[in-house]
Amino acid sequence: MIMGSNMAECHPVAFRWPLKAKTDHGAVLMHVDPRFTRTSAMCDLHVPIRAATDITFLGGLISYVIHSKRWNTDPFFKEYVVNYTNAATLVNPDFKDTEDLNGLFSGLSEDGKAYSPATWTYQRHPAPAPPVTEPKTFTDMLLQRVPGRPKADPSLKDPHCVFQILKRHYQRYTPEMVEKVCGCPKEKFVKVAETLLNNSGRDKTSNIVYAVGWTQHTVGVQIIRCAGLLQELLGNIGRPGGGILALRGHATIQGSTDIATLYHSLPGYLNMPDARKNHDTFKDFILTESVPLMTSYWGNYPKFAVSYFKAQWGGAATKENDYGYDYHPKITGDHSHLPMFVDMMNGRIKGFFVMGQNPAVGGQNARYQRKALAKLDWMVVRDYFETETAAFWRNSPEVKEGEVKPADIKTEVFFLPAAMVSEMEGSFTNTQRLIQQHEKAADPPDDARSDIWFTYQLGKSLKKMYSTSSHDRDWPIKNLFWDYEPDASEVATFRIKDEPSAYKLLKEINGYTWDDKKPLPTFANLKEDGSTVCGAWIYTGVIPEEGVNKARSRKADEWISPGWGFSWPANRHIMYNRASADLQGRPWSEKKKLVYWDPKKEVKTPDGKVTRGSWVAPSGEGIDFLPTKAPSFRGKDNGIAFDWLSGNDPFIMRPDGKAWLFAPAGLVDGPLPTHYEPYESPVANPLYKQQSNPVAKTWKVPGNPYHKVADPDFPIIVSTYRLTEHHLSGVMTRWLPWLAELMPELFCEISPELAAEKGIKNAEYMTIETARGKVQARAMVTRRMRPFTVDGKTVHEIGLPWHWGWQGRAQSDVVNNLSVLVADPNVTIHEGKVFTCNVRAGKRGGAA
Amino acid sequence: MNAKGMFVDTSICTGCKACQVACKEWNGLSGEPSHFAKKAGYPYRVANNFSGRSYDNTQNLSATDWRHVRFIEQFNADRSEARWLFASDSCKHCNNAGCLNACPVQAIVRTDLGNVFVKQEVCIGCKYCIPACPYGVISFDQRTGTVHKCTLCNDRIHNGLGTACAKACPTGSIAFGDVPDLKMRADARLVQLKKLGYEKANIYGYDEAGGLNVFYLFLDKPEVYGQPEKPVVPQDRLHISSGVTVAAAIAVAVGAAIAFRERGEKKDKP
Amino acid sequence: MMALESQAPHWEWYYIALYFFIGGVSAGAYFIGSLIELLGYEKHREVSKAAYRIAFPLICITPVLLIADLGRPERFWHLFFSNGPGSIYTNHTSPLSVGTWALLVYSGMSFLSFLNVQVEDGRLALPALKKVHEMFSRLPHKVYAAIGSFFGFFVAGYTGVLLNTTARPLWAGTDPWIGALFIVSAASTGAAAIALVMARRQALAPDTARSLQTFEQPVMIAELAIIVVMLAVAGRYAVPLLTGLSGVLFLGGAVLLGLLVPLGRQFMARAGTAERDGGVIITSAFILAGSAFLRIALVQAGQS
Repeated sequence: MIMGSNMAECHPVAFRWPLKAKTDHGAVLMHVDPRFTRTSAMCDLHVPIRAATDITFLGGLISYVIHSKRWNTDPFFKEYVVNYTNAATLVNPDFKDTEDLNGLFSGLSEDGKAYSPATWTYQRHPAPAPPVTEPKTFTDMLLQRVPGRPKADPSLKDPHCVFQILKRHYQRYTPEMVEKVCGCPKEKFVKVAETLLNNSGRDKTSNIVYAVGWTQHTVGVQIIRCAGLLQELLGNIGRPGGGILALRGHATIQGSTDIATLYHSLPGYLNMPDARKNHDTFKDFILTESVPLMTSYWGNYPKFAVSYFKAQWGGAATKENDYGYDYHPKITGDHSHLPMFVDMMNGRIKGFFVMGQNPAVGGQNARYQRKALAKLDWMVVRDYFETETAAFWRNSPEVKEGEVKPADIKTEVFFLPAAMVSEMEGSFTNTQRLIQQHEKAADPPDDARSDIWFTYQLGKSLKKMYSTSSHDRDWPIKNLFWDYEPDASEVATFRIKDEPSAYKLLKEINGYTWDDKKPLPTFANLKEDGSTVCGAWIYTGVIPEEGVNKARSRKADEWISPGWGFSWPANRHIMYNRASADLQGRPWSEKKKLVYWDPKKEVKTPDGKVTRGSWVAPSGEGIDFLPTKAPSFRGKDNGIAFDWLSGNDPFIMRPDGKAWLFAPAGLVDGPLPTHYEPYESPVANPLYKQQSNPVAKTWKVPGNPYHKVADPDFPIIVSTYRLTEHHLSGVMTRWLPWLAELMPELFCEISPELAAEKGIKNAEYMTIETARGKVQARAMVTRRMRPFTVDGKTVHEIGLPWHWGWQGRAQSDVVNNLSVLVADPNVTIHEGKVFTCNVRAGKRGGAA
Repeated sequence: MNAKGMFVDTSICTGCKACQVACKEWNGLSGEPSHFAKKAGYPYRVANNFSGRSYDNTQNLSATDWRHVRFIEQFNADRSEARWLFASDSCKHCNNAGCLNACPVQAIVRTDLGNVFVKQEVCIGCKYCIPACPYGVISFDQRTGTVHKCTLCNDRIHNGLGTACAKACPTGSIAFGDVPDLKMRADARLVQLKKLGYEKANIYGYDEAGGLNVFYLFLDKPEVYGQPEKPVVPQDRLHISSGVTVAAAIAVAVGAAIAFRERGEKKDKP
Repeated sequence: MMALESQAPHWEWYYIALYFFIGGVSAGAYFIGSLIELLGYEKHREVSKAAYRIAFPLICITPVLLIADLGRPERFWHLFFSNGPGSIYTNHTSPLSVGTWALLVYSGMSFLSFLNVQVEDGRLALPALKKVHEMFSRLPHKVYAAIGSFFGFFVAGYTGVLLNTTARPLWAGTDPWIGALFIVSAASTGAAAIALVMARRQALAPDTARSLQTFEQPVMIAELAIIVVMLAVAGRYAVPLLTGLSGVLFLGGAVLLGLLVPLGRQFMARAGTAERDGGVIITSAFILAGSAFLRIALVQAGQS
């Protein structure tokens, strides 16, 4: 099932695999999407739903599944759900569901702005007696704080158990409700539900694919979680052919999250030191971050964190100075993209590096963002062409319309030419966490340089500038461990001789021992005593020994291809793959065999003894479990990490070893996904009194006006999206005539019904309007778009691809002039996938 | 040596147009000049070829567009029939090639691998091959004064590589290989599709124009994809039109003989 | 809508259609002249001479038109020596290739016939040309008249076959009739050109005028008949020929002015057996113009 994704168009290369499954193995492909896209065209079934009603649809599937005959009679589902998920776990009796509070969970603050998760917690047994009394290490400190095991009712009958809560929560998500809310015919919904049910179980697995069609909502995280719930109930996690495939952006969005370009995380998904949390000292940081997770593999948090700081400052990072922790920057709030621009508008941000981004086109409420750029003192844009962001001061729509004068903009813009991917060596980490090395084919022209060249040389210059500083505050720059000088052989064939060594970078990311600089083969080798260096623990193993880069390996086979590249962590392609075997460790079926327990296999322990029994994977797949931990192993109540987890706890990164149907922690907007209308919607929430996500992030600032619910001035739903022919804001595509001519101009996909109502004709110009701005687009009147009937009312929806700007060889209005700053409360992603607008025939005219 | 060719399985074409771009990249073809226009304030020409015809803005094959992906929307009013078909089109390298038959200067030739290509250094730009192609493939380029079309990547295939478009195709919709092998694949795929209920599925190009070295699996009638159901190679009609013309010439000659016969003298003599 | 047909060659009317017309007039005149010579109709010797005087100068214009339309005019010689000098090439499936050779032979023959006339009239002054004439006079004049006559018909007709031998809807749809149409059209225009030239020089004897008319009339009627058949055969593919500017040129120019008006004028003048010089000039001009319109309309409509 592809939902929240236009895989054929936006991930055309990866889409070969679903198609191959269809043509070679008879797989059924289903596409649930408001529009009929190139993906729908390739699928067996297209199910149209109104934009942003995904949770209703998925919740409907959950309810359908748990009430179905198959699910209640096939013992597979019970065995999987009771043992591998937290279905049986008992929740705090004070917890109140949205059914009880008409769309709200218990714990909402007085002002309605934030939840306290105090009532969402598990019921627990008493905490065990600590095994250590005098803590010497961080690990010892954790061992003193191990909580009691959660209480559970494996019969799933207790009214406070997760399963019963879940069942009640989705009780009203019936096929009829799905039809009413989503505007999709009941029969099509049932077809989807039956297909998923019949293709899940011992012998079969189903996969769900999503992309930004799910994330870009004020309930984005919850939509994805809802799919997780469904897959857990269907027993589709940790098994071949199952899972949820998050289609990350190309080419290495996954890699950039791993190595942490996000403001709030350190490489390897450690949290950024945060002035708002108890992070005052290194010890506080370690305990605050690792205590809630210590009964999972995250119990090794101290080792990962110390090795990271060691990578930052090398020899200057010592136990005595807490590995330089006090010199590390701390965040003071939400510094993600949207609030950053609000801060910029308010003059709180003075300088800005823009590398591989084009916010003047791609930013939500782009007019607001461009005006914010004008408040900067300086901005550095590194790109291939003079992007709209680099040119905003001289020819933006605001300048052309006379609203802003270039002379009044004080921002000093530095434009630096960047090298293209084939002009630099490096690696891509793709959507399945697969790291693949790419070669440098040629030197970039003239002064164009690679990203790492720029960053490395900038760092070197800064170090030089600060080398004589006596200020303690300059310690982090002075002591920055910064040596990626290339070996002569690495640059021998190229003109550019000071290109930093990509190998040295990857080796640091992989990790090595500080004393003898030997690469670490696995993250199990990491230490919390400062003897290991590791840039991002999840990548450990990509360079298992000096000179071997597994990201270069290219051995393919007909299945998992463990010899192709390196899939973090530890070359595990299917995470939590212990779940591919049953309680006793036997494969669920011959057909779906992946990782299983071989009681006869002899294994040598590090101390030279031979034991019997091991998890095995004949395919060569990495085993996402402690290989020698027998299925019958009972975890130690007073241990941490692998010691605490039992032999039937496949979800080793969860502190209870189970997949979470109910999230007792980690989410700010509720433990269960709930249907809320998008922040701007033409209809009232048909399910609850609560209209939209109560804790969604909004910015009620000048220049960012919101529409009302069912606003008569803006009655039409609009989605923004991408096409195959262009990439994001078009910097890599709109300057190329070959691609420009494929999709030369902005168009608006509109149903013939709405077009007739508004007098809009195909290929002629039309204007789309919101309180933020107006754009003109060529009309593409097509039956691929359709009106939806929601609760008896007709709701129209239009679609706008957003690739264009005023520079390059394919030019049009900036679609994001229409969108608005509003975001998911968990991750601050915007809601570009759905907001409201109005349309009319003709060109924009006048001021936009 | 077996003829090389391509099998285009349109049932797995996603309409991504990578083939169009790969073709231009390998063959060093520019953007189509007619798709771009000058714009005030910009040093470069800007695309202006929005068509409004589904996702097809390049519209046809040309001297710079050797590949073209068609988009066919088949929807009824209530959307109970909903289909969007894609098909990548190019030169078919006909075994009985109208362009080659028409060329007066031997600029269009067939190589040992069966592909038909234009020798740029020989072509005189008479343009007669253009209307001679029943598929509208070959086109004239003002800039070179010659005609251009897909060469089946003549340089690549004579050096052991497949065509650039097939290489770039992410789903395998365009497959390159020996024609007999490709036909086996096509037959098998047709059987599979028929079993799945695609009754109208058909293979186009086994018999047309003496057999096409680039042939197609369509899910609907060839016309739906803009291909003539019964393409006629123009030269197949040459004998008849020549015959009629000769007959007319004889009639005119006889007419002249009669009209100018020396009857005046006879009349005058008595 | 989707293109179901081939692309248009974008031939310019002022090159290709005009060539078709001029070549047709030249060839038409030549084969009338040469037939008279071959049949030994001495009484119409003047007709022959007029025809030869017309045929050669007109055919001299045509290579210019043809070469000018080429994308690479400097390579025109590839038409004869395609694989490099020394290797003569002809493509028998290409009317263009065969026609080019026919045009070459025809040009030669019309040149020799032209020389003959000049010598006969004592107007040949250049010694070099005299030599050429002497050389070729070793052969009976009738030999190259015969060859020229054959290739004259070829040049008149192949252009139509060339159009028919394409995949353009109009040209393919009218198959196999354009060749025949161009033959009869060449015949009528050839006769009209002869009549016009003779009438202008006031050298048109009444008998000759009558014979020319006797030839022209059935030919023009045949032309009308072929047009009707052609349109019937073409069916919906004939639409471009009957609409727009091409429609005006074809129906108004070619059919009305070029055929119906001349026929009408000749029938009206029948009482006095043949038209007078002035009338002949006007009628012939109509025929010639009509034929030019016919070629332009057919060539342009086929490309729309």
